[in-house]
Amino acid sequence: MTPALFFTKLLLAVPVAITLALTAMWYIWESDNTILYDSFAQRMFSGIEAYGLLAIPLFMLTGELMNEGGMTRRLISAARVFVGGFRGGLAYINLLANMFMAAIVGSAAAQIAVMSRAMVPAMEDEGYDRGFAAATTAAGGLLAPVIPPSMLFVIYGVLAQVPIGDMFLAGILPGLILSVCFAVVIALIGLKQQFPKGEWMAAGEAGKALLYALPAMLIPAAIIGGIIGGVATPTESAAVASVVAFALGWLVYRELDPRRLFEMFKRTALNAALIIFMIAAANVFGWVIIYEAVPQRLAAFITTITENPFLFLLIVNVVLLFVGMIIDGIAAIILVTPILLPIAIDSYGISPYQFGVVISLNLVLGLLTPPVGVGLYIASAMGETPTGRILRQLWPFLIAVALVLVLLSYAPWLSTALIG
Amino acid sequence: MCTRAHRANPLMLNKISKTWARVELACAAILAVGVTLLILLNVVTRTAGAPIYWVDEAAIYTMVWMTFLGASAAIQMRQQVAITILTDVLPDGAQRIAAKLVDVAVFVFAVAMVWFCWRWFNPWALGQAGWDVMAFQGSTFNFIYAEPTSTLGVPKWIIWLVMPISSGGMLLHALAHLLNFAPPEKRGPEVAT
Repeated sequence: MTPALFFTKLLLAVPVAITLALTAMWYIWESDNTILYDSFAQRMFSGIEAYGLLAIPLFMLTGELMNEGGMTRRLISAARVFVGGFRGGLAYINLLANMFMAAIVGSAAAQIAVMSRAMVPAMEDEGYDRGFAAATTAAGGLLAPVIPPSMLFVIYGVLAQVPIGDMFLAGILPGLILSVCFAVVIALIGLKQQFPKGEWMAAGEAGKALLYALPAMLIPAAIIGGIIGGVATPTESAAVASVVAFALGWLVYRELDPRRLFEMFKRTALNAALIIFMIAAANVFGWVIIYEAVPQRLAAFITTITENPFLFLLIVNVVLLFVGMIIDGIAAIILVTPILLPIAIDSYGISPYQFGVVISLNLVLGLLTPPVGVGLYIASAMGETPTGRILRQLWPFLIAVALVLVLLSYAPWLSTALIG
Repeated sequence: MCTRAHRANPLMLNKISKTWARVELACAAILAVGVTLLILLNVVTRTAGAPIYWVDEAAIYTMVWMTFLGASAAIQMRQQVAITILTDVLPDGAQRIAAKLVDVAVFVFAVAMVWFCWRWFNPWALGQAGWDVMAFQGSTFNFIYAEPTSTLGVPKWIIWLVMPISSGGMLLHALAHLLNFAPPEKRGPEVAT
């Protein structure tokens, strides 16, 4: 009865958090454990008493401040300096700017929204196909949750009880590999269709662009440097980044109006609350998973199919691709981590870091796959391009992500090498 | 006359619910400012070599309050993250029925939460014990009022108050939605990965 009720509610569009909590309530009733009701609210509360979760509102705030503060434009013009002269220069600029942005913003959807508005019209003006422009931008957005900081990694780190700083380190190499693969995809598409020629900037102009962007580059430097150097926790570096973003937008670029600050805090509070509330509800749902021994039962089944960790990860990947088509990113990771992680660690000896990187990237891919692909719809709305036209240009990028997923599943050290 | 009075009630309730959601969201925003300032305070004092020991705990509780108040406001605004793949393709009438079922589910959740909080804080038994915490603990074995916070020096039940407050807010919003039969405005969640 419990699983049927769970899926009915989920598909009826009952909010995910409330579905989780109601299912737990029902399960407690059915299994005659009503004494648990007395500590129900307390357990929801304690489920989010985690220092790491503080990073979520702070990273969201930094994103809001970036958008309003005119930083995106500066980062794009800095990217122009490095790759603008190649044939198809603007496509590579798009990718490089997405890498910069990914080192500041922790959310793919937010990044796709900002970058689509900035890049798609610019690319079309220079003669690129609109669909290709939107597809490149949407794919570039997938770097956001892999290159640190990453909202998904924060949530996974809290659920998996691994240090979030280490989780961020685990994402660096995979993020770079993904970027290289996207560059190769762009180059291959360029062989087939002639991209417009790019133009190198004059030295003076280039220097100016770099100088203007330099302060903005401080933010990723502060975040990643702070974490790698171990001087700051991810939470602290997020707070510092938000101050830097505010000061730059207000005092240096003069595009940020402090009077709008409270509006930004409202959006930040609401969006962060939605996510953290789901984690609170997942904590009471954990009762169901534990008492029903869901991971153990599933493990008993899966281990009869394969004993090989790589094959296990491939199976997980295929299953999660379907999960990701229906449930988007963060909600999906909150749902599957408590079930799959114990199997990965106990039955297959997979590192929690490798597992986190693989399932995060996989579930993020779901943002770009219909029928439920928030990222795709955002790219379509912001870039004013029909989704079908984006998808026709997007599939080479999706295949590249799939290949990277196989690679990351095969080679654990790609995720764990940087963790001291 | 009678029908008008009957109709006026849900509207009134709707207004109260909307106003309360605005208050909740404003509080959540102020708490978000608080989180930011507290973490910054931590960075500054730690760099200066004089860390303040209670800041971490204060920041976490500030975030928890922000979360539950924001979540309650989000119920009023119908902004909770949900899976709409199936309901989006339903015909109009069926969609409204599904939306009503969602309202029912949220309402059941809110009622249960209020009930759980009542059982947990148990003000009735506390009153019967003459507001004497020791007598209350002796008769109920409920130690909620004895639990301390680790560094703040405030009893934990004060911090836990956010649960009954936000549960009450959710109940208000859920009831307002449940009794509101006006065609719903369609709005998906704005947050994703």
